[in-house]
Amino acid sequence: MKQLLTKGKGLVMGSAAGETLVSQRAFTFAHGVDPSTGIVTDVRSDIRGSNVKGKILFYPFGKGSTTASSWFLETVRLGNNPAAVVTEAVDLSAVIGSIMAKVVYGKDIPVMSGIPRTAYSSLEAGAEVFLDARRGEVRMKK
Amino acid sequence: MHLDSAQEKMLRGDLGEASQFAMEIISKVGDAVGADELVPIRSAHVLAHYSSLHDAGVEVLERFADSGGRFAVPTSVDPASVDLQSWKSFGIPENYARQQFRLCDAYAKLGGMRCWTCVQYQVCNFPKEGDVVAWAESSAVVFANSVLGARSNKITAGMDIACAILGLTPRFGMLRDENRRAEIAFELSLKGLTDLDFRSIGFFVGRNAGARVPFLDGLPRSVTSDQIKHLGAAAAAAGPVTMIHFPGITPGSNIVAEASGGEKVEEIEITRSSLSDIESDLNQTSEFPDLVAFGVPHLSVNELGELSKLLEGRKLKKGTKMYAYTSSQAYDMAERTGISATIEGAGVRLSQGTDAEISPLKALGFDTVLTNSAKLAEIVSSEGEIKVGYASQKEIIDRVTS
Repeated sequence: MKQLLTKGKGLVMGSAAGETLVSQRAFTFAHGVDPSTGIVTDVRSDIRGSNVKGKILFYPFGKGSTTASSWFLETVRLGNNPAAVVTEAVDLSAVIGSIMAKVVYGKDIPVMSGIPRTAYSSLEAGAEVFLDARRGEVRMKK
Repeated sequence: MHLDSAQEKMLRGDLGEASQFAMEIISKVGDAVGADELVPIRSAHVLAHYSSLHDAGVEVLERFADSGGRFAVPTSVDPASVDLQSWKSFGIPENYARQQFRLCDAYAKLGGMRCWTCVQYQVCNFPKEGDVVAWAESSAVVFANSVLGARSNKITAGMDIACAILGLTPRFGMLRDENRRAEIAFELSLKGLTDLDFRSIGFFVGRNAGARVPFLDGLPRSVTSDQIKHLGAAAAAAGPVTMIHFPGITPGSNIVAEASGGEKVEEIEITRSSLSDIESDLNQTSEFPDLVAFGVPHLSVNELGELSKLLEGRKLKKGTKMYAYTSSQAYDMAERTGISATIEGAGVRLSQGTDAEISPLKALGFDTVLTNSAKLAEIVSSEGEIKVGYASQKEIIDRVTS
């Protein structure tokens, strides 16, 4: 088994592998991610300019508009969605966005929560991880 | 999450495609958030504006409407992305308006109240203390939980329509007593608060509370429901806040111990320098603006009256526009009482049923926006394309009128 990075709670089941993209601040897809590219536009985000597409996206909690789930869904429609989302507090927008992605577009985007910021604060940029929401585990890929 | 036999039937599709689609979403959400069961709601508030729903949202809303979906409870709707009466004169592109009208048609077919406002609690949707509701619109959810004593989670797009169609919502989060307890206390000792201060206080609380439920002590007794509306909107824009305990206002929250269930909580003082920090963060330009926007969330008729007093005998300078965003209901009242005439006489436009943060501002050619709304300032700078200034209404009017 590869090294266990952290354990949390699977909210939307599934597994995913990919590069990590880590924000230490409140995050939102609403007005904060351009669905046509996947690029983070929010000037208050510490990952502004990064692309969420295909990434295992970590952030502590959501903020702002209840429209975030539809911004999330539009990234899915356009193929620019993250591969998985990992948060500390449950971000309902990510949960609904992911559930709608499955129901409307047949795409699996696992979502986990209950993972504190400290668990991934030492990750190197672009580290690769494997996530299994059913087991509630995030493991290093190497 | 437990489903009873009627709900199981819906999930199987026995009651039609729309309720099956809705139940599929809601049952998955319920499982994800650890809800024990579905509970009835007294009203819903949903989103149907193109700027945030995008083409994916048009597909979803039409799918609900065209497969026989009908709202089971009184349902209000957030503002549209265009002024539904006068969109052409605001310069909205035809193809953009067309997508918004598709959403309007689908929403009408579903049987919702066509109020197009983010302050439904001042217009057409009035829960009483203890009512469970399923509302979208983060600012309205804060108002419902904190002022009305109703119970709502911050229901996000997609789930909102599903709850409205079923007349049900999963029991979790703010519907449960244990999650409504205050977990952090803010103490305000400032006097002579301006319109900007109420918004900056909200933003400070939202940013520093994080995922904790805040208690805010020290608001003046003279505080108005409009001031609380803007404070709550700013808090919800800055973080995941869904409720603020206001002593003397929030039912059962007169002292911090009542609000926290007797637990000792962290205390943070809000000082003048706390508010200055928020102001300098939100105020990113002092350039002369292309657009001044008031009314995120929508101005009440009282606030339109205050605005008209500030604008009396003044004229908007050349090279800028000023829009005051409001509900159709407040708009009509302002027309009848002469408030509109004063506002429009100063060269300012009233815009009804839409709002600045969900308008295609960039496409309309606005590069700098000046506002007293912390929510708008936060959202505009999130998109990263438009420069935003943040100042009090009086200061703004002094700057852009003569």
